[in-house]
Amino acid sequence: MNSQRGMSTFGAVLLAGTAGLLTATLMMDWMVVDVHVLDVSETDDIHADVPLHIKVPFPLVIADIATGFIPDEVFEDARIPPEARVHKELVLETIRALLDTPDAELVKVRTEDANVDIYKDGDTLRIAVDADDAVVRCNVPIDGILEALEDWDWETVDPQMLFDILHAAENGDLVTVATEDGVRVAIKMW
Amino acid sequence: MKRKVLILVTIAVLLAAPAAYAGDETRWVNVHVTENSSNTNVEVHLPLNLVLTVLRNVDVENFHGGHVDLELGDDMDINFPEIMAAVKDAPDGKFVTVTSDEADVNVHKQAGNLYVTVNQKEDEMAQVEVTMPMELMDALSFGEENTLDIAALLQSFDKLPDGDIVKVTSTEANVRVWIE
Repeated sequence: MNSQRGMSTFGAVLLAGTAGLLTATLMMDWMVVDVHVLDVSETDDIHADVPLHIKVPFPLVIADIATGFIPDEVFEDARIPPEARVHKELVLETIRALLDTPDAELVKVRTEDANVDIYKDGDTLRIAVDADDAVVRCNVPIDGILEALEDWDWETVDPQMLFDILHAAENGDLVTVATEDGVRVAIKMW
Repeated sequence: MKRKVLILVTIAVLLAAPAAYAGDETRWVNVHVTENSSNTNVEVHLPLNLVLTVLRNVDVENFHGGHVDLELGDDMDINFPEIMAAVKDAPDGKFVTVTSDEADVNVHKQAGNLYVTVNQKEDEMAQVEVTMPMELMDALSFGEENTLDIAALLQSFDKLPDGDIVKVTSTEANVRVWIE
């Protein structure tokens, strides 16, 4: 009468599989592209009805795998001009020096049309543009760019470089754009 | 109670002082440009090391590895180091005074600094003030082929006290370059 009710083998495998899948999902870097198009024709309210809202979560591992399947010949014609290659050391040394720079506001521009601020905050360069027709915020992972440029051959276009930078980006907003005609685009890292 | 707060504040200040001093080791090059006509204001605040790194790695025409080609031509034989040494050893006083309808120019030395001032009397009515501490004279390094080591000059900013290097005011724009 004291028989114990154990979990079936199928249930255990299903549970382990689900847990593994969930862990893998959480461990992966995700990029989320979030696009809102607001109707601001009659109101300036940013919380007005949202006629269009698209949210696309995208695991970067998929992009990593996909780029591996692109044949090299595709990029044969897209070669970097030699003039750009000459500045490789300048670019790398400048980024290294930027990483060593203490946190501070580096550039501040005020014009009648737009304000631009560039801050260094840890390993991230924060760029803020407040223009009459758009507001842009961009968080550039300096360490990710350095790593990607160091690994790059400086000869051919390499899409993997972009994903290396994205992997290095901090969680949160990578880029946000809000235009006066109601388009809100956010690229978030998760 | 007030006494306790006072003691705590004193301890906090004493503890924070060395940390603040250590944090101030970075020298910063500041450039502030104000354009009057378009109401544009640009402020650049960069660490000296970053500027030096860029300068030493730039390789373009007339500028290589921090050295700028002065393009003086072969017929001009100027002994810059000798001139610099003479200026450095000279006593305080007015060296050059030029007065004309277009502009007044003054070069004088005072309290270890060489001052160059230009007052334009027409067009943009620019007023230029350049302050050159004598320490910079030592850093002015001229190569054999009429090149000037700009990177070495900037490196010497590291030893300078905080203050203005260049100040330009005119009807069109104001520019201020200073080190801190």
